[in-house]
Amino acid sequence: MTQSNKTIQQKIAELDELVAWFDSDEFSLELALDKFKDAEKLAEEIERDLTALKNEITVVKQRFDGNE
Amino acid sequence: MENHAVRLTVSDFIALTNQTLEYAYPSIEVEGEVAAFKVNQGKFVFFDLKDAGGSVGCFMMVYQLRLPIEDGMKVIVAATPKLTNWGKFSLTVRAIRPSGEGSIKKSFEILKAKLDAEGLFAPERKRPLPSVPRYVGVVTSTQAAGYADFVKILNDRWGGLKLDVAHVQVQGESAPDQMIRAINYFNQLEVLPEVLVIIRGGGSADDLAAFNDEPLVRAIAASRIPTLVGVGHEVDESLADLAADVRAATPSNAAQILVPDRQEIIRSVRYKVSALLPRLLQAIETGRQTLRSRLDTALGAIARQTAQTDERLFRLRQVLAQLDPNVVLKRGYALLRGKQVVGEVLEIETFKAIMKAKVEKYDAKQ
Repeated sequence: MTQSNKTIQQKIAELDELVAWFDSDEFSLELALDKFKDAEKLAEEIERDLTALKNEITVVKQRFDGNE
Repeated sequence: MENHAVRLTVSDFIALTNQTLEYAYPSIEVEGEVAAFKVNQGKFVFFDLKDAGGSVGCFMMVYQLRLPIEDGMKVIVAATPKLTNWGKFSLTVRAIRPSGEGSIKKSFEILKAKLDAEGLFAPERKRPLPSVPRYVGVVTSTQAAGYADFVKILNDRWGGLKLDVAHVQVQGESAPDQMIRAINYFNQLEVLPEVLVIIRGGGSADDLAAFNDEPLVRAIAASRIPTLVGVGHEVDESLADLAADVRAATPSNAAQILVPDRQEIIRSVRYKVSALLPRLLQAIETGRQTLRSRLDTALGAIARQTAQTDERLFRLRQVLAQLDPNVVLKRGYALLRGKQVVGEVLEIETFKAIMKAKVEKYDAKQ
């Protein structure tokens, strides 16, 4: 995970909002380039986070054979 | 009677015989066809196990009966031979399971119909799984190939999961009880996993029989944690599958259902951003066209104003031209200057000359 405390889901949601802005009434050419750069940065962050994540697998110590 | 013969009481003889039998057959399985099956007082089960050559009585407790049994079914019993205090020889059965495709199928269908009638498989009972769980409980044998497949696919597809794995037997006599204990263990945790995954790789119908065990199926249906069950191959259907909230065709498929594929998400995220670029360029082009269109409109307005001014100027010039005295002189008229009195000299100007003339006579017009 990168410095930001946001989860991957939150970052994806943020990216979706940025993408939706381009189709919204709020779209303005003056802001579009900055928004595009933000989207590119966020996408790179999501990719880095996804690639770095590892699963933590633990076999529980409890026995289930009835001999515990 | 010979002198060295051992003399025993009846009770001792029965005890010795049972001890000998236990020593000779510590654990045996007997296969045969069920006959005269009956349950007494809702607690005690009696039936005969027979084949073409003989028959032996069997006894077991109702709670040990994990599957529906009927007369005519071929079964395998795990039992201890015993001579009762009344001198009757029988098998004390610990576990019974159907044997052969026909009996397994029949037992499966009877139990399926029973549990279905109770609503255990009803679609409205099914709970959805979280789209991206963070904490998952797994019930499986960690030595099974199915578990290795599950972990491999899971690690390939996603990360950041906390997986607690309960290692249990997934086939054989004790498998259902072990799995039930594991399900109960997860359901009693202070912090519950978000999903409980129960998996086992492929095998014969006999290998997978544990997943048709009635108490296990009920434990899966009763789990507080939503369940995902992946047993055997795609064609295998167990009652545990039917009771689960979500059924996976195989352990690998369970991993696919459990988590999204990170590569797919990365591709989707890349696509979302790359799709913005044409939109951005399109917006710039639209802006440019709007600007050009407005400039064209402005230039058009200027051109129209200029044309109108030109026309007005032309008309004024025409009017002015009509007012020019030379134009009148050209038509043959003359300008007369001076006093119009007899004897005075007048100046006469025509288009071509200026001349002087003396007034000799003056008659005023009537």
